Amino acid sequence: MHIVFYSTSDVFEAEEKIKEAGIECKIVPTPVTDKAYCGVCIQINEYDVTKVLNGMEFQIVD
Amino acid sequence: MIYFDNAATTKYKPEEVYKAFEYYVREVGVSPGRGSYQLGIEASRMLYKTRKKIANYFGMDNANVLFTKNSTEAINLFFEGYLKQNDHVIITCYEHNSVLRPLHKLHEEGRITYSVITREDLNLSPDEIVKKYAKGNTKLFCTTLASNLTGRIVYSKDLLKHMKDKGITTFVDSSQGAGKIKISITSDSIDYLSFTGHKDLMALPGVGGLCCKNKPDWKPLIQGGTGILGDSYINPDVFPEGYEAGTLNMPAIWSLNSAIGYCIDNFTVIQDKEHALMRYLLSELEKLSNVIIYDKNFERVSTVGINVAGVQSSEVVKVLDKNGVCSRGGIHCAILAHEALGTVETGVVRFSLNYLNSMEEIDTLINVLNDCR
Repeated sequence: MHIVFYSTSDVFEAEEKIKEAGIECKIVPTPVTDKAYCGVCIQINEYDVTKVLNGMEFQIVD
Repeated sequence: MIYFDNAATTKYKPEEVYKAFEYYVREVGVSPGRGSYQLGIEASRMLYKTRKKIANYFGMDNANVLFTKNSTEAINLFFEGYLKQNDHVIITCYEHNSVLRPLHKLHEEGRITYSVITREDLNLSPDEIVKKYAKGNTKLFCTTLASNLTGRIVYSKDLLKHMKDKGITTFVDSSQGAGKIKISITSDSIDYLSFTGHKDLMALPGVGGLCCKNKPDWKPLIQGGTGILGDSYINPDVFPEGYEAGTLNMPAIWSLNSAIGYCIDNFTVIQDKEHALMRYLLSELEKLSNVIIYDKNFERVSTVGINVAGVQSSEVVKVLDKNGVCSRGGIHCAILAHEALGTVETGVVRFSLNYLNSMEEIDTLINVLNDCR
């Protein structure tokens, strides 16, 4: 799945938080045509990262 | 050549800073937030890491850091966005023109009013200052960390706290002294702080920024490409990109990342060396009967302003330059401080040292000044 953000800066803050939580993730181009989100996002396996990203604004895209 | 103009720009940088710049331009060389290829992603990651490092350095508990090309642009961005019609602002008499001029322009446009805390009144207690200067419509208090003219540390945690307790937003211009005085946005009652890379933080010129305790909700200073939401006709309402239109100076930003690391790792060494140099410089200047030292008895950064009795500052600077000493005369973009010191007509000769200077260089300076009669 993909976690998408409005801000590119938030992508890297989220990457930091996810990796600190010991979860593997990867930054990839955003694979959606929805122009609301920035050009890169986080690709991750099916983990519930809601707690890890608490307070951040994001959307999950399958 | 002896370089005593570090308050303008630190000429000599730590080797790590040069290497960081070279690494960025050679090995990365692309802009953050633009391409979604791996190198572009790495550039964006390096940008985020630098935001975080700056935030940590200034004691923030988030990474709300906006990049600009210098402190002046950050201050303009802040004032233009934050201040509203009929707001009142309090500043100190030691503010740089980068604070005075944007405020005065807003004043001339009939948008705001401002008051200047006099040099004498800075000796009052914080409570007395607040009582004397704060009004019902006072929105903002601005203070420099240190005077760029005399080196005096103006920053006062107590005064910032008193202003905050009165419901006034606080702003610190850390351009002078950011690498030399430990401050904390979270602990020291600071809402906004501007910084510049090329002075005491010892990075390359061309990067500065604004630290914001809370994410701003006001308009950006400039419109343009932000790398996100490209189909919108105006900047997106997204922090921080909506405030950073145009390509960022990433080589300078990456050099700042390295420079801050150096400042953190060597804080005590730098501080001890600069304190020793300043003690020696002040003691030697005091021995010269023809020299007037300004703000001699205040805590200071490694800057001092003087005059040679009966000689224009520009003439002293000229003589020093002929002897291989780089110093700065004139007004130093600090007209309020000159008005407070009574030196508008003569200007002041400023010596601003850093830890790479030596006692021998100070001896050379003193010998030249001794001959300036």
